[in-house]
Amino acid sequence: MSDLDKAIAQLRACRPIPENQVRELCYKARELLIEEGNVVSVDAPVTICGDIHGQFHDLMELFRVGGDVPDTNYLFMGDFVDRGFYSLESFLLLLCLKVRYPDRITLIRGNHESRQITTVYGFYDECLRKYGSANVWRYCCEVFDYLALGALVMGAATDLQPTDATFQDPNSQATALSEPDEIEIEILNSAGQIINRFPRNNYIGSQDLSQISNTPSSPSQSLEQTPSRNGAPGTGASSASRGSSNNTGSAVLCVHGGLSPLIDSIDKIRLLDRKQEVPHEGAMCDLLWSDPDEIDGWGLSPRGAGFLFGADIVKCFNHKNDLSLICRAHQLVMEGFKEMFDNSIVTVWSAPNYCYRCGNVAAILELGEDGSGAGYAPRTNGDVGRSQGGPLAERIEQRQGPGRRYRVFEAAPQDSRGMPAKKPVAEYFL
Amino acid sequence: MASIPTLNTLRTGRRGPRLRGGRGGRSLPDSPSNDLNDSIEAGRDHVVQQTDNDASNSRQSAVALGYLNDSFSSAFGTPELQASRRYPIINRGTYVRTKAIDKLVKNFLDSRPNEKKQIISLGAGSDTRFFRLASEETISAKIVYHELDFEANVARKRACIRQSPQLEAVISQARSSGSEYHLHALDLRNLTNKSPPIIPGLDSDLPTLLLSECCLCYLPPDTATSVLQYFTMNLKSSLALALYEPIRPYDAFGRTMVTNLASRGIHLQTLKQYSSLEAQRQRLKLAGFDTGQGARDVYQLYRNEDWVSAKERERVEALEWLDEIEEWKLLASHYCIAWSWRGEAFTEAWAKVEGSRTPAEGDEGG
Repeated sequence: MSDLDKAIAQLRACRPIPENQVRELCYKARELLIEEGNVVSVDAPVTICGDIHGQFHDLMELFRVGGDVPDTNYLFMGDFVDRGFYSLESFLLLLCLKVRYPDRITLIRGNHESRQITTVYGFYDECLRKYGSANVWRYCCEVFDYLALGALVMGAATDLQPTDATFQDPNSQATALSEPDEIEIEILNSAGQIINRFPRNNYIGSQDLSQISNTPSSPSQSLEQTPSRNGAPGTGASSASRGSSNNTGSAVLCVHGGLSPLIDSIDKIRLLDRKQEVPHEGAMCDLLWSDPDEIDGWGLSPRGAGFLFGADIVKCFNHKNDLSLICRAHQLVMEGFKEMFDNSIVTVWSAPNYCYRCGNVAAILELGEDGSGAGYAPRTNGDVGRSQGGPLAERIEQRQGPGRRYRVFEAAPQDSRGMPAKKPVAEYFL
Repeated sequence: MASIPTLNTLRTGRRGPRLRGGRGGRSLPDSPSNDLNDSIEAGRDHVVQQTDNDASNSRQSAVALGYLNDSFSSAFGTPELQASRRYPIINRGTYVRTKAIDKLVKNFLDSRPNEKKQIISLGAGSDTRFFRLASEETISAKIVYHELDFEANVARKRACIRQSPQLEAVISQARSSGSEYHLHALDLRNLTNKSPPIIPGLDSDLPTLLLSECCLCYLPPDTATSVLQYFTMNLKSSLALALYEPIRPYDAFGRTMVTNLASRGIHLQTLKQYSSLEAQRQRLKLAGFDTGQGARDVYQLYRNEDWVSAKERERVEALEWLDEIEEWKLLASHYCIAWSWRGEAFTEAWAKVEGSRTPAEGDEGG
């Protein structure tokens, strides 16, 4: 067993590794990460995860639900540390896995992977408590500076491969079987049972063409569209699923926070100098701090960093960059995930019962592999050569969004935490 | 020290009546298990007393970071807790809670400034409000200020006062300008006895404001009601109550809050009964504060210009980078300030404070 495998085994047991090993690990990780671009290319199949926030036992639950590394490919969208009591073990385990299986696991930076934020929200204190000095915190922060800012998932299948999973509610099985449609969205519980399933509806003929023309100049038209039937919590899915048919292209951009008014193409992300502390403002800051919101255009963020951005911004960005979906984390959503803006952006949140206090469930998003390989095409990720031929031309060109399988899970049971189970204390006003 | 009366009279025979009170006024026949009940009860009481440390720590954290200006918080702080810094959302919540109660108190003191007024703080613990008011030059009203708490908490506070020339000076200064400060070691449950103790210095003819910041919620609902009844029956003038309590126990956050606190031995006994803003208003109305009622959750208060001005909000938001916007919304919407009154003095003070039912409360029920 190599030293790395030993370290992985030790961290899996939620025991920190010695300081000199951390230093070595961080050095290796930096060498690996420096080779990655600001936007890492990732091939489907991949399981996309949101914030972890030091909830180590819930991260173990995530691996139990989603499959272990290296059997499952993972993409973590940042915020590994702070708030939970095991930021150190969580981040170092992910880092070990990254070094051990570089092609199987992708880590991108969240706004908490920052010196300033970790001194306020717990990671710094935790390192100090567990090692007696800030050295380990310093090594980790140096790794933070090398983490990629985003990832581009290629070759995701447009429809989900049917599984032999059973329905949680046996009554829905019958109805589901009668629907031969391609599956666009499937929601599973932590036992692998299907909670809900949404077929893709390819029929777009009767729709208002302004919907699929995707013209950024008239965002209000699409905002006013109300789905006739609502899907499961978080999906925003409608029976018609016209949102996804609305999307052109098939790549999925993953980023911790969201978009920036300074960034209109993925290539502009690639040009940033990322190897630094997260700045207080600017494009890099925005990518890690911004949030989608029900507004038109851009708005000020209540977080004091980044911006709020509306559906028009997302649709325009996706169209221009040939994306079918933006996948991001950063915001607590009680249902674990939330699709917005006609399924053009999704928030994935992977810290169940966040801070041991919020009572939320968590989710991970699986994107399947397109067997035909058709989804993987040489691309520019820019607007070069995009057709400007009007609604009908767009319609011919449009590609479907990926099939999305969400696995929803709850916090790891207390008894899975082993001894000594230091009971986390959530703060309230008393 | 005349302003801090000797309370030995209240100490004797405390255990018995307190227990009876603890059972919500229902007197049970003596049984062999009484000793066991006794110790369980004492353990629970201890946990509730300890909640003051938590509140005190939060206050110190908010003061240290500049949210609140309170030169007295460290004098009452527990030394070993002094270094611990709270998360930004806790600091912000402590700020809103303190400012909101301050506003209600100040409106009361500023109306009819020549009239003497009385404030009774239930479960005051290490609260610094009297000292802040007494040292504030803009307040001209004479105040009779009472603090009621468990003996252990009062003893600690009294020791702090004895050790601090600063606090002693504030008390004697207040006394020389006609105000009074009374610190009573009194188990509130005793007030529900058939022959409740007399609170020394209590003036039944003064317009009186009762404060309960996370206090009545730890009592069984009927005991909490009886405690309020003690005051509505014994005080003759205008009377009001301002309380700060958790609400909304039935959603995911609320359920987790109840479970988490229960695992620490903290039982929010009135929470399910008064689970919404409207339930709080109705409760206070039925309790005899029937002239007017208002209630707002902390999230609403923070966003409302009347409670926290845009300028203040800007100042507060510059103090710390608060990343946890969604969590702040969750936490802040599970605590409320409710206020209500009977009598003209408070109508003058509070009528303009907006606290009636909002459209958003519609689906929440009463």
